[in-house]
Amino acid sequence: MSHLGPLLLKEERAVFSSPIAYATVAVYLLLMGYTFTAVLFLNRTGDLVRVFFQAAVLFLLIVPVVTMRLFAEERRAGTLELLLTAPVREMDIVVAKFLAGLTLPTLMLALTASYAAVLGVYGDPDWGPIYSGFLGLFLLAAGLTAIGLLASSLAPNQIVAAVAAMGAGILLWMIDTLGYLLPDPFDRIVSHASLVAHFTPFATGAMFLSDVGFFVTLVLVGVFLSTRALARR
Amino acid sequence: MPPLIVVEQLSKWYGSRLAVDRVSLEVERGEVMGLLGPNGSGKTTILRILTGYLHPTEGTVRLADLDVVTRSLEARARVGYVPEDVPLYEWMRVREFLRFMARLRGLGGGAAGRAVEAAIERLGLGSVRDLLIAKLSRGYRQRVAIAQALLGDPAVLVLDEPTNGLDPRQIIEMRGHIRALAGAHTVLVTSHILSEMERVADRVAVLLAGRLLGVHRLRADGVDERLQLRVRGPVEAVRARLQEIPGVSAVAVESEAAPGVGRYVLETGGGASADRVAASLVTAGFGLLEMTAAPVDLEALFLGLTGPAPEAPR
Repeated sequence: MSHLGPLLLKEERAVFSSPIAYATVAVYLLLMGYTFTAVLFLNRTGDLVRVFFQAAVLFLLIVPVVTMRLFAEERRAGTLELLLTAPVREMDIVVAKFLAGLTLPTLMLALTASYAAVLGVYGDPDWGPIYSGFLGLFLLAAGLTAIGLLASSLAPNQIVAAVAAMGAGILLWMIDTLGYLLPDPFDRIVSHASLVAHFTPFATGAMFLSDVGFFVTLVLVGVFLSTRALARR
Repeated sequence: MPPLIVVEQLSKWYGSRLAVDRVSLEVERGEVMGLLGPNGSGKTTILRILTGYLHPTEGTVRLADLDVVTRSLEARARVGYVPEDVPLYEWMRVREFLRFMARLRGLGGGAAGRAVEAAIERLGLGSVRDLLIAKLSRGYRQRVAIAQALLGDPAVLVLDEPTNGLDPRQIIEMRGHIRALAGAHTVLVTSHILSEMERVADRVAVLLAGRLLGVHRLRADGVDERLQLRVRGPVEAVRARLQEIPGVSAVAVESEAAPGVGRYVLETGGGASADRVAASLVTAGFGLLEMTAAPVDLEALFLGLTGPAPEAPR
């Protein structure tokens, strides 16, 4: 029998019982509201490309703060011992934590949709890039959540987990600029690992299956390695 | 009946430190087995391997014939575990926490609810069922932890230092809970306090620096009580009289306390109680000067097994 249901319910309760959730959503909305307003009044164009990039950069900073406690907090409190000695598969625990970690970024994205609604009411935007942009942001958030989950499963405490996940996310975001300095074929390999290279097509309205595949792979690798980290004891 | 838990040549290394060194141990169904040893002797590590939290470096642990590594999920379903520091989700309410743990143990909606209510009743948690766990005293936290371990009625209960941090009244209550669980469950309990072990365990395994020094029985089958007597009268006549009392299984003459006064230790069971022993001696005309419950001298046993204390530096 799968224990995903009760585990997920518990993880969601844990996310929303922490003040971190409310603080991060508030900060995100404040910064995004400012960005949307400024871009709209300065550019006077009915698109969200800059808003999407701003959200992506905020996700690089915010998602690690959301994911840092997933395992590190349980390890600190000792409750990981309760979970791992219950008749529950490690994979169920990891998947529940991944989904719960993705809840807040998804909620933030849902609230960001109000900007698209404003454009729809007062203008006539091109909806294609808006849909793809939201999909791209969701996939980016999922990839960053998987990185944060892995960091939390390995790190001795929450701060180390957050800093490590933030470092890994930012490095992957800008790694394509380093790729240009490397000889062939390493430049192409490194460029393919870049988050921004795979996110940009979504934000500008071009969707490629390969980009979706990249983020899905990132999630699967993160979940798999977190499960391995949990089993190593 | 085969033993419920079989530990064979179990070793655990933490990096370059050997925490458990080739320990072999068997635990019978329904008994309370104590693991006794100073801090760092490997008690918690053995429990953590048994509960599936840690993997052994060498050796095997089988629980109801299930290897705890290769058939971990099935083995874990048969164990209720209370870790040493009583980790609980502070932000949950008592009933919510127990319900969550019941679901993890595979109990569905109605069965989970009934199991939670039964555990609340059994551990006397009714008055705190809707409180946040963060608001509970140490004694109640300990009870909540035992309640979650009982959910799903596991064959084995593993309690790591269950009396740590409790006040004297709570310690007495906890002892009562542990003894009440014996029989229906096989209980493994650790402590570094000798007197606690004497009171709760049927057998103790003494550990030092990761090695098992020996297993000692504290309560023999059919023995309810050990009595220590001081009786005035001829030693042989008193001994013969004591041996005639139904239920007295063993009589040991320890020494002569004074001229004409002997010191005896009895093991009683099967209905022989202190008042029957007293009545029998008095009606035979012997002088019963003292009668006390005689604990097993675990302290002497422990010191004997662990060797002499190191000499204090001059």
